[in-house]
Amino acid sequence: MSLLRAAWLVARKDLQLELRTKEILTSTGLFAILVVTLGSLAFYTDPVSSPRVAPGVLWISILFCGILLIGRSWSLERENDAIFGLLLAPIPRAAIYVGKTLSALILLFAIELLLVPLCLVFFQIEPSGIMLPLIALVFLGSVGFVATAALFSAVGIRTRARDLMLSVLVFPLVAPALLAAAVATRELFAGATLDEVLGWVRILTAFDLLFIGFGVWVSRYLLAET
Amino acid sequence: MELDFEDVLVTGLAKSYGPTLALAGVDLHFAAGTVTAIQGANGSGKSTLLWLLALLAHPTRGEIRYGGYGPAHADQLRGRIGFVAHQLQLYPGLSGHENLVLAAKLQGISHAAERATDLGDALALRDYWDRPVRTYSRGQAQRVSIARALLHRPRLLLMDEPATGLDTRSTRSLIALIEQERRTGGIVIIVTHEEEFAEKVADRILHMERGRLVERGA
Repeated sequence: MSLLRAAWLVARKDLQLELRTKEILTSTGLFAILVVTLGSLAFYTDPVSSPRVAPGVLWISILFCGILLIGRSWSLERENDAIFGLLLAPIPRAAIYVGKTLSALILLFAIELLLVPLCLVFFQIEPSGIMLPLIALVFLGSVGFVATAALFSAVGIRTRARDLMLSVLVFPLVAPALLAAAVATRELFAGATLDEVLGWVRILTAFDLLFIGFGVWVSRYLLAET
Repeated sequence: MELDFEDVLVTGLAKSYGPTLALAGVDLHFAAGTVTAIQGANGSGKSTLLWLLALLAHPTRGEIRYGGYGPAHADQLRGRIGFVAHQLQLYPGLSGHENLVLAAKLQGISHAAERATDLGDALALRDYWDRPVRTYSRGQAQRVSIARALLHRPRLLLMDEPATGLDTRSTRSLIALIEQERRTGGIVIIVTHEEEFAEKVADRILHMERGRLVERGA
């Protein structure tokens, strides 16, 4: 079976489970709303300071929602040792990583559909002219972050200190992507054009390709036999 | 390309987990059309042997040959191995039917839903298989797990305590099913503590102690 077909089966199973329980979307969605609301109330913002604070609040929210979401997604595989049902199938090991990454990304995008407009409204940022580059930045930043976090969740599937490992290893690794995304968002909110943030978009794209490629390559060993 | 094999040959198989020696050099041969039961105390290495045979673990030493094939063909060999593990490896949030269809699709079975329905009928799962697995009794979930192991008509069927939680009728069905696997040339290896069950289904019974085979009975 091809890697993509198997990956889609794994992702679809995750989405099917989530549609049934709505557990991940509810908990992370509420968390996202809470972070943005607290962020907007905690600072005295005006048209000058709002664009400076909003990128930090937005990306902190995405980061923590992502970590929560990925942790929960992989914990589904630990219940009843269900991951071994996937490992017993004659599919490429990388398909499990790709499938889990894909489902986590779809769920994170669903949360971002709520999060980004909420952030713009609470921080009174004019959306006209920045939506397209903002969507690109959020997309690319999320892809890099989820691809990296899913890889370390795969490592942690048989590790007791998985949550600690996820936090300790993932945050430093995704720092370049998150910093690039946050700085580019700040520039965009301050009135920069798409051309002016193109350099950051390129950095994010390179990071995404690097980590997806590395993830696909290394997951065959990470998810191999013990 | 679908692989097939007529026997499984285990040579000098050892497995350590850190300083703990789980399997200390085991030599075995399993032929097509035979049922082998493995017994022994907890921690004697029975389940480790099954995990190695299921290609879910790497041996520390020794090797397993599936006919002419070895670990280099692991991805394809998995399509010929069925495994009923002690932890049932089912998604609690999915129904039994959904678990079976997912497994059938991952096995590359073209008519996944039909095959799942066939096994649902054979193992009498259809009364409850639309409910989430988390609502099942151990015996009901066990039957789904057995059905999943049989979906792709494996040559090698590995079962870790398959009779756990089964009522008398289900145990009889399980015995009939194992008998059918034997008749159709399957290689069945069962880890069980239940002596009566082992004597009913097995052609030979092996005993393990501290990672070694200690006695061979007929």
